[in-house]
Amino acid sequence: MHALRCLLVLTPLALLALGVALIFGSVPLSLADTIAVITGGGEPLHRTMLLELRLPRALSAFAVGGLLSVAGALMQVLLRNPLADPYVLGLSGGAAVGALLAMLAGLGVALVSGAAFIGALVSTAIVFGTAHGTGSWTPTRLLLTGVVVAAGWSALISFLLAISPATELPGMLFWLMGDLANATQPLAPLLVLLVVVAVAIPFGRSLNVLARGPQQAASLGVAVRRLEWTVYLSAALITATAVTVAGSVGFVGLIVPHMLRLLIGYDQRLLLPASALAGGTLLVLADTMARTIIAPEQLPVGVITALLGVPIFLWLLHRSQAS
Amino acid sequence: MFRCHAPCQALRHTLCALLLAWASVPAGAASEIRLLDDADHTVQLAEPAERIVSLAPHLTENLFAIGAGAQVVGAVSFSDYPQAAQKVPRVGGYSRIDLERVLALAPDLVVAWRSGNDAEQLARLRQLGIPVYTSESRSFEAIAETLLHLGALSGQDQHAATVVAELREGVAELRRRYRDATPVRVFYQVWEEPLMTVSDAHLIAQAIALCGGQNIFAHLDTLIPRIDRESVLAADPEVIVAGGMGEDRRDWLEAWKQWPELRAVREGQLVFIPPSLIQRHTPRVLEGTRMLCDALATARAKQSASALDAAQRP
Repeated sequence: MHALRCLLVLTPLALLALGVALIFGSVPLSLADTIAVITGGGEPLHRTMLLELRLPRALSAFAVGGLLSVAGALMQVLLRNPLADPYVLGLSGGAAVGALLAMLAGLGVALVSGAAFIGALVSTAIVFGTAHGTGSWTPTRLLLTGVVVAAGWSALISFLLAISPATELPGMLFWLMGDLANATQPLAPLLVLLVVVAVAIPFGRSLNVLARGPQQAASLGVAVRRLEWTVYLSAALITATAVTVAGSVGFVGLIVPHMLRLLIGYDQRLLLPASALAGGTLLVLADTMARTIIAPEQLPVGVITALLGVPIFLWLLHRSQAS
Repeated sequence: MFRCHAPCQALRHTLCALLLAWASVPAGAASEIRLLDDADHTVQLAEPAERIVSLAPHLTENLFAIGAGAQVVGAVSFSDYPQAAQKVPRVGGYSRIDLERVLALAPDLVVAWRSGNDAEQLARLRQLGIPVYTSESRSFEAIAETLLHLGALSGQDQHAATVVAELREGVAELRRRYRDATPVRVFYQVWEEPLMTVSDAHLIAQAIALCGGQNIFAHLDTLIPRIDRESVLAADPEVIVAGGMGEDRRDWLEAWKQWPELRAVREGQLVFIPPSLIQRHTPRVLEGTRMLCDALATARAKQSASALDAAQRP
């Protein structure tokens, strides 16, 4: 019942956010114009604006927000650490180094995205390989490895920024902060999001047990090691997909799962789909603000997610302590 | 809905056919405009552009310079010269333009800056059926070519030809005057923190060469290299030229005075040239270059005077 009620609230909210993203832009369109376009009519200029500029971007934002939130939720279960986010294991750093190298080489957008994806996978492999080490595998060890690898990447990023020509810098900074201006192909990330949520729900029970601790999980018959690696690798792949589309958008993956835990509790079977919906909604709204708030100047969406995320999160935290 | 749609479309087709028929008459006589831009794209216009959006401050300035200012319906931030350009509606900053605004202005031509604008955004504009002319002018001759291209695209050929003739003549005049001048070693400061200069590929370096100067960092590979103060001290330039944060801020030059052993400081050859006169690739660059040449000529005169002094001393 509870689950149903939650999804009944979040789904219309997500659709509403997509509607807002379509209606609002730097060029004002009336509700009537928007509806005319949606029903297949409207002026050609309005059609291009809505269907070729706003819609693909809004759908990409939804997919990226959803992916990052699901990845964050998974990482928080895996590491049993409230500070974990999709990037905590150095994944965004690897992706960023890949992307910046591609930009420095003057490659086009498709290749920059490809390089980001490869960078993310390389980082995953490094953390995966070295955290394994000898002896037992613990979340603390994985976390430490990830943090150190991330520090290495960030040093490389600073190095690349320092040696890059001035004309490349704006593009690089937009990428590092996360930007959806060039996200035009929402289909693949949306599909990944759908598959991930569909696959994760059946695993929800095992994840619930895992969140209480590996010993308890093992005693209840969960194959802990295998589950942990599966969670790690899928979270990495999900994050890599998101980063490939929009660069490293911060904060969504950290705060959305936390917000939902404070609001709806700890059941992963509910938390994961709710994360997808709420994360997508948040990023769609943030991106709408990014392209309208000081229009015609455009902001990277990562700026907005941080500006929105910090106060919301602090307020929720404060409220939960009080009660 | 279908019933409403069909007549509309029929009407539109008829209108289209009529328009085409009407357009094809003069188009046969007046030649269609077709040229290759600096990104190797063919730009094709059936008739001169009436509604132009400019994606770089220097391109806005160039359009106004050739008399196409009235046709500019949109421009990026910092398009501040001439005064009239400040009133043109904005379409965002050059590194991230607001595509929606550009579309809403219904331009029949977008002029873009290859190394400044985002290539992907330009590709989107082309996809949406808007002709994009991309410019990258790294020499006096390239500026002239951009001006001529803009003239052809905007139907201001005559005006552009006049402006270009003046520019070319001015450059040739300086070249004649300083061809055999004694070389003066010059350091050009683009930025203070980090300290940046220009290498030989840059227009400013070409201006320095034109004035009979020698850029002390000519040999570096990057267009705008970051350097350290030590290498400037080691090269001991005879003249230090700087732009600045604004049109009238000389603080960067003051900073060099803490090294009185530098030749440029000793001889008082610290020169300020307003950045908009030499860093923007427009006809005004000639004005900045003339200021630079005058500064180098003064330095040269002082140099030969002190050489004379030294020779006369027993």
